[in-house]
Amino acid sequence: MFGYVRPPLGKLSKEEQERFRRIYCGLCHTLGARYGLAARFILNYDFTFLTILLSDGKEGCAPCARCPAHPLKKRCYRPTDTAMELAADESVILAYWQLRDGVSDQGFWKGLKYRFLSRLLRGAYQKASRARPAFDASTREHLQKLSDLERANSQSMDQAADTFAALLSGAAMEVDDPVRQRVLEQMLYHLGRWVYLVDAADDLKKDAASGDYNPVALRFGLQNGKWTPESRHEFAQTLDHSIRMIATAFELWDFGCWHTILESTIYTSLFYVGGAVLDGTFQASIRNRNRNKSRNGEETI
Amino acid sequence: MNDPYQVLGVPETATDAEVKKAYLNLARKYHPDNYHDNPLADLAQEKMKEINAAYEEITKRRSGRGGGSTGSSYGRSGYDTYGGGSAYRDYGSQAGSSSVLQQVRAAINSGNLSRAEALLANYPDHNAEWNFLRGAVCYRRGWMDEAKRYYQTACQMEPNNPEYRQAVDYMENGAAGSYHPNNGPFGTEVCAANSMCLPFWCCVLPFCC
Repeated sequence: MFGYVRPPLGKLSKEEQERFRRIYCGLCHTLGARYGLAARFILNYDFTFLTILLSDGKEGCAPCARCPAHPLKKRCYRPTDTAMELAADESVILAYWQLRDGVSDQGFWKGLKYRFLSRLLRGAYQKASRARPAFDASTREHLQKLSDLERANSQSMDQAADTFAALLSGAAMEVDDPVRQRVLEQMLYHLGRWVYLVDAADDLKKDAASGDYNPVALRFGLQNGKWTPESRHEFAQTLDHSIRMIATAFELWDFGCWHTILESTIYTSLFYVGGAVLDGTFQASIRNRNRNKSRNGEETI
Repeated sequence: MNDPYQVLGVPETATDAEVKKAYLNLARKYHPDNYHDNPLADLAQEKMKEINAAYEEITKRRSGRGGGSTGSSYGRSGYDTYGGGSAYRDYGSQAGSSSVLQQVRAAINSGNLSRAEALLANYPDHNAEWNFLRGAVCYRRGWMDEAKRYYQTACQMEPNNPEYRQAVDYMENGAAGSYHPNNGPFGTEVCAANSMCLPFWCCVLPFCC
């Protein structure tokens, strides 16, 4: 999965870290309650971020419970509300189609893993698509468009990114307040564009080796997945324009208790993550981090 | 109207200087320059009106209090003149522009991008202005890379046109001047070159430092 959108937890106060952890755990509980154990494994930072965007900015009391990931110590979590149900349903739909995408992208043997995982998630997906038929239909339509563009070897980086961006902005279609909906659609569109482009940049070397479609390599005519200083600069600029659109939209709505987490993610993390991907250090940092974590037996979150 | 102090995010006990500082920070955030061609510019304009009214109201209340340092010396900052103006870059008609391209400008100004696109698609002469307007439609749609390339083409065809030059400048340098809380740096490449920034792993990965 992606995992590019994450708050700068190391820079946030203990209180904000806890708030983020509570909604992360809350989404996991919601997934478990609605869809069972298998669906809890799709939990990640990106879906948590989506949940924060869809949640109202108020905070009530937080119940505490043990869970399969933390069987010994009780942890407090944000209780399920309608916004979290929406986020959970949409997360299941997104995760399922991402897995199906993996099945059709890979050959038979490599695709087995995706086939197996999507099979596990199928029941959850069927239920989620019944609950949110419009979002499911729009997700399918946009992914179809994206795979057509990939097959046609589309030269337009913006066009390819647009399908994923439009898909993600569809996550705001059930938001009631019209102003809030406009703000969220704009934020999610450019978040989707940013994620798609950063993901493509992250895969440059891999795609160059395997010969897979990579819109960023095509757009800048990169050889062996290597940046030239000019193309790298130009690419960073286009990322910054999307971040600017996310930021200007963010400032037009009161996100209540999520203000600090969202603000620091938008104005700090996206730059850091984008920079690390361009430097080619993003995946290595995540791997190192995971290795240290398992060595120290410490928990991330 | 909402409580003006709440709008500016300061307590009623704030000093005049604190009120002014809060106002200027918000005015910087919602300034039309920050919402150039932004599809949400109308919302920013409303915000701007709201904070201008709040600032005016506080100034009025405080000048009535008769403390010599408020009132006229406080004045209204240069920012307020923007509040009522158009937040959109004005795609006003250009001398010598064809009537179809003028309709495109009108369609962009009213936010009707599909119409603008349809008109452009049927327009045979792909001159500088056509490229510029194509770029403007792309920008509104969020296709930032293509927007920049159309603007560049327009600029190459007519290097002396200030409108096209400004659009290219904006795509190349605009994001760097964006509002950032606490005046921090805005840009993916800024941090790589800036030793003041924490290293990536300290910042983004949880609890490592």
